[in-house]
Amino acid sequence: MEEIAEKTAAYLAHKNPDSSDFEVTDLSRIHGGASRETYRFRASWTEGGARKERALILRRDPEASLIETERDVEFNAYRAFYPTGLPVPEPLYLETDEKWLERPFFVMEQVENCQAASPFGPDPYGPLAEKIGEQFWRHLGTIAGQDPAAIGFAAAADYPAPDTCWKAALDYWEGEIDGDALCPQPIAKGAIRWLRRNPPPPPKRISVVHGDYRTGNFLYDDEGELKTILDWEMCHLGDPLEDIAWAADPLWAFNDPRPGSMIDRDKALSIWSEHSGIEIDPVALRWWEVFSAVKGLAIWISAGKEYEEGNNVDPIMAFSSWYCTDVHNRQLVGWMPDLINAESRS
Amino acid sequence: MKPDVQTVMMRSFERILTDIAPHLCSEYAVGSSSVIGLMMFQTATEFERAADIRVQENAAMRGLFDEAVGMLPTGELRTRVEEAASSSDPSLKISELDQANDALSALLIELQAHAETMEGTAARKLETKIWDELARAATARRLPHPITG
Repeated sequence: MEEIAEKTAAYLAHKNPDSSDFEVTDLSRIHGGASRETYRFRASWTEGGARKERALILRRDPEASLIETERDVEFNAYRAFYPTGLPVPEPLYLETDEKWLERPFFVMEQVENCQAASPFGPDPYGPLAEKIGEQFWRHLGTIAGQDPAAIGFAAAADYPAPDTCWKAALDYWEGEIDGDALCPQPIAKGAIRWLRRNPPPPPKRISVVHGDYRTGNFLYDDEGELKTILDWEMCHLGDPLEDIAWAADPLWAFNDPRPGSMIDRDKALSIWSEHSGIEIDPVALRWWEVFSAVKGLAIWISAGKEYEEGNNVDPIMAFSSWYCTDVHNRQLVGWMPDLINAESRS
Repeated sequence: MKPDVQTVMMRSFERILTDIAPHLCSEYAVGSSSVIGLMMFQTATEFERAADIRVQENAAMRGLFDEAVGMLPTGELRTRVEEAASSSDPSLKISELDQANDALSALLIELQAHAETMEGTAARKLETKIWDELARAATARRLPHPITG
């Protein structure tokens, strides 16, 4: 830890040549964030003769992660959304030169005095669920309603065609499953074939898709104010229903019928539509719900492979591969028979 | 081996959660040790049932192959399905049961994909039976959670 603190202080000094005496204290690694090593710390320095201090976050690429993504995707998302007023941390520095901390990283504001909830326990928000849920779905609607080009996100991302965005997403995650599976996956493969036989209608418009918008990936305070939305590393352009389906995935609700253990599904979808300006097509949403379980399986399967091969031995990688794969497999076998029967095949 | 593996895993899980994790001072260490404890809890269940689950799954897949053989046209897939239907598990070692399970599962994927391209009631029934077995197997493999059991 001491070495990371010293190197981080040296980096901050390099980025701020008009200031001096940089110090990094209280550096500690945060549990979770398995796609990046995440550290919180306090930086202090002398500027204009006065001593200053700020709480910051360091997100460093791991040697292998739960989600294989480029750190600039996440940084660019923060950079695009921070000026819009959406609650996200202020992005400060993106560094790809490995000389500083051996691997690429970025530094952003630390939003203090708030907490994240674990999706793997019952009723994580208690009496705050209603208040947090309304903000959760409102912010997701706001993300979907943004013009990606107007906020400067489109330039940094591939712009898929509306009628094929489902295929691009499915091709990617099927590739992850095929490349990383440690054993055959009949449930995932059966679901994927159904998804290909029954493509969804194209979205009304292409939106920014957070990619991992769910319980556990935002911080809230004791009064139930949603303070910041995190973990944008899977952010991309696509069908905004992808985010709804992922946020409402039963994995994040621990047997609670309320998506993410927050508010009722109908109310959640209504808030989302109001703030995105997009009407939800239930047939399309059903497709994206099945897709979400497949995407989840791909992530958990990849985590298991990284753990098995010793590339990332964080216990959360093994747990994800055991527990989350189990949940998503059972979810799919509960859904697929009805979906298969509803197909018009002789 | 006494005490039983299940007992040791459960006691260790309790120890980690109540006596060890709360006394660690690093947030990352607390989180990681709790996850390790949770996996010990799940290992206790898996150790007891692992062989049984695999033997049952392998037998069920062989049963599906046996039923499907008559529906398949003469060819390479039919030959492999026929051979798999009459295969058997080499031993009760988990690694060897897993190896057999992987081979049978890979063939099941092929059979299911093939059935989806076939027309007729028999093909639809076979699809249904395959999904029923996948559901049964997934339910049998359900991992316990300390809160829900």
